[in-house]
Formats: sequence, C-alpha cells, structure tokens
Amino acid sequence: MKFDDKVPIYYQIKTYLYYDVLTGKLKPGAKLPAVRQLAVDLTVNVNTVQRALTEMIAEKTIISQRGKGNFVTEDQDKLAQLKEQLVMSQLAHVYDQLHRLNLSDSEIVASLQRYIDQKGAPQDVERISD
Amino acid sequence: MSNVLAIKDLAYKQNRKTILSNVDLELTTGKIVGLLGENGAGKTTLMRLITGSAKGKGAIEVSGDSEIAKRKSHVSFSEQLHGFSNGYKVDQVVHFYETIYPDFDHARYDAMAKFLQVDGTKKLSALSKGMKEKVVIALTLARQTDLYLLDEPFSGIDSMSRKRIISSILQWKPDDATILISDHYVTEIAPILDEIVIVKDHGIATHIGADAIRDEKGMEIEDYYESLYEDGGDADDEI
Repeated sequence: MKFDDKVPIYYQIKTYLYYDVLTGKLKPGAKLPAVRQLAVDLTVNVNTVQRALTEMIAEKTIISQRGKGNFVTEDQDKLAQLKEQLVMSQLAHVYDQLHRLNLSDSEIVASLQRYIDQKGAPQDVERISD
Repeated sequence: MSNVLAIKDLAYKQNRKTILSNVDLELTTGKIVGLLGENGAGKTTLMRLITGSAKGKGAIEVSGDSEIAKRKSHVSFSEQLHGFSNGYKVDQVVHFYETIYPDFDHARYDAMAKFLQVDGTKKLSALSKGMKEKVVIALTLARQTDLYLLDEPFSGIDSMSRKRIISSILQWKPDDATILISDHYVTEIAPILDEIVIVKDHGIATHIGADAIRDEKGMEIEDYYESLYEDGGDADDEI
C-alpha cells in the first residue's frame, strides 16, 4: 500500500480498512486478518496496525473477541453511519477546494451536476463499445 | 514497556577527534526505530559502541546488562560478510553462525532464506549486492535476541529486494524485540518506523515518534529530517 507520509499511518490504515468494509471486501461479521499479517500486507509496523485497530474497536466498527480475533460489526446502523462519515469527509475536501475558487454553494451544486452529466456520457459510450 | 537500550553520557573519539559526545538514548521494547543522519554522522560508530566492538566513555546497558560479554548476547548486529573469504558458500557461513551463536535458530533462518530466495549453495563471490544483503538480514534476524542493529541494509539495493527485506523484517521481528535500522534515506522505510532518532553534530539531535511528526507537526518525515539541516548545521566534514 502507498502511504501519504504527511498523514499519520494509523489513520490511513483505518481509512483503508473502512473502504474494504464499505465496498464489501470485508463483509459484516467477517474476521480481519491477524495483526502481523495486516502489517506485512500493508508494509507497516505491527504497533501502528494495533493502534488503528484499537481506535476502530473504540468506535465499535470492529468487535474484538478475546482469543479469536477482530470481526467487522454486523450492526447495520453503525455501518450506515460509517459510510456517511466517509462520504462527508470526501465531500468536505472537494467543497473546501471549490470554495477557495470563490464558488457559491449553488454554483458548487451546479458544477457537480454538470460533472456527473459529462462524466456519465463517455462511460456509457465505453460500455457500448466493450 | 521496559528499556531494551539505555545509553548515558556516551562519548567516543577517534584520533583525538570527537565522533560522538553527550549521547543519551533510551529505547523501549517492541519497537522499530530509524537511526538517521548524514554519511559520517556516527551511526555505524554508535552501533559498534552498543555491541561493544568499539569502546567509548559513558554507560551502555542492553536489557539491563552493561558488561560487554552479556551485552553482546542481547544484541544481533548486521555484520557485513567481510570476515569470510569469497570462496565460502552461504551454507558454510550459516553453519559458522550456528556454531558461534547459541541463540541462532536454524528453522527461522531457513524460513527467511526461503522467503528471500537465498540459494545456500552459492559462493559469496557469486552473490549480487542485493542477495548479499538478504543473507546478512536472514543471519542477523535468525538470532533470538532483544535488540537488532541493522546498519544501512538498503544502501545500493534495488527496490524489489528492498521490499522483500522490509517484508521479512515485519514478518520475523519478535514481538518484544526492538530493531534499530540506520539509513540516510528515510522515505523508503518511513511507513514501518515507530520512532526516529537523528544523529547530528556528534549527538542525538532528536528522538521522536514517527506518527507524532505527521500528527503534531503535519510534516513528512523526510521534510522534518531535512528541516533540521536547514538552519545552519555545522559544515565540518567528518572523517
């Protein structure tokens, strides 16, 4: 995994695992790989993985079962909340950038709509040509 | 968490020239620590002082022992293979390690050698630089000790070998052991470090948590490292 060295690694590991949960790579109730395995897979240190997992356990998005390992929560409300959080944090970033270009809120909404319309079109063409 | 290494007021001179002075450093168990500094800053010297193969003034304790013979038994240092003639085969070197180090774990060595694709039947003269370093890493980590000192394991090594070596370090590091890795190019190892120690102007300029740099200072480790050199470090060339 490639890391942004400006952002704390434990935070990037959390985000990475949350994406796996929300994209369904890690299903509700699924067991997470062992700490050392995660460290090797992501090329980070064991203590950093442990720190990320400790925070995820505190946020109750993963459940730690003594002696068995860590499991993704099956609480649908919790997962919906997690998704909302990730969506909002992505949007916050875009919103911030666009605001700096002096766009008003309605202009931002309009731009986003235009972007989706334009982006939608070529993809459909590709799909046809496949 | 207890200290695996405690250095107090260490000083070392070579030909009346100060290499290190007033060095204080404490490392706790179970960490991966980057030892950074320019070429000639004294990183290797510091490692040799810890193992006891160089003698300075001051106190050094490894796992609570200060006497050199006991200290050595707690430390595994990545010796380059200079002591062996080029005609030696890798397996002969392994046998030598097994004979002189009672804590050498052959099964551990075999597992690492397999992972790193080391061919034991090859002569040392036939090994590439990257392969030689892989042998050194496997030999060093195959000993069961409290403190591992890896002296610039990545210098002059291609990126594929580097990644393999990093994986093997993560995979085979004993939980309670601490690894000190020296390097003058920090970016390649930044994600695996718990802490960094910077050697500059004959002493320890900083000892700080890696995520503390990102969290509290919002900086990349490399930028942080370089920032220490911007405001007028002394320019005298050592050695």
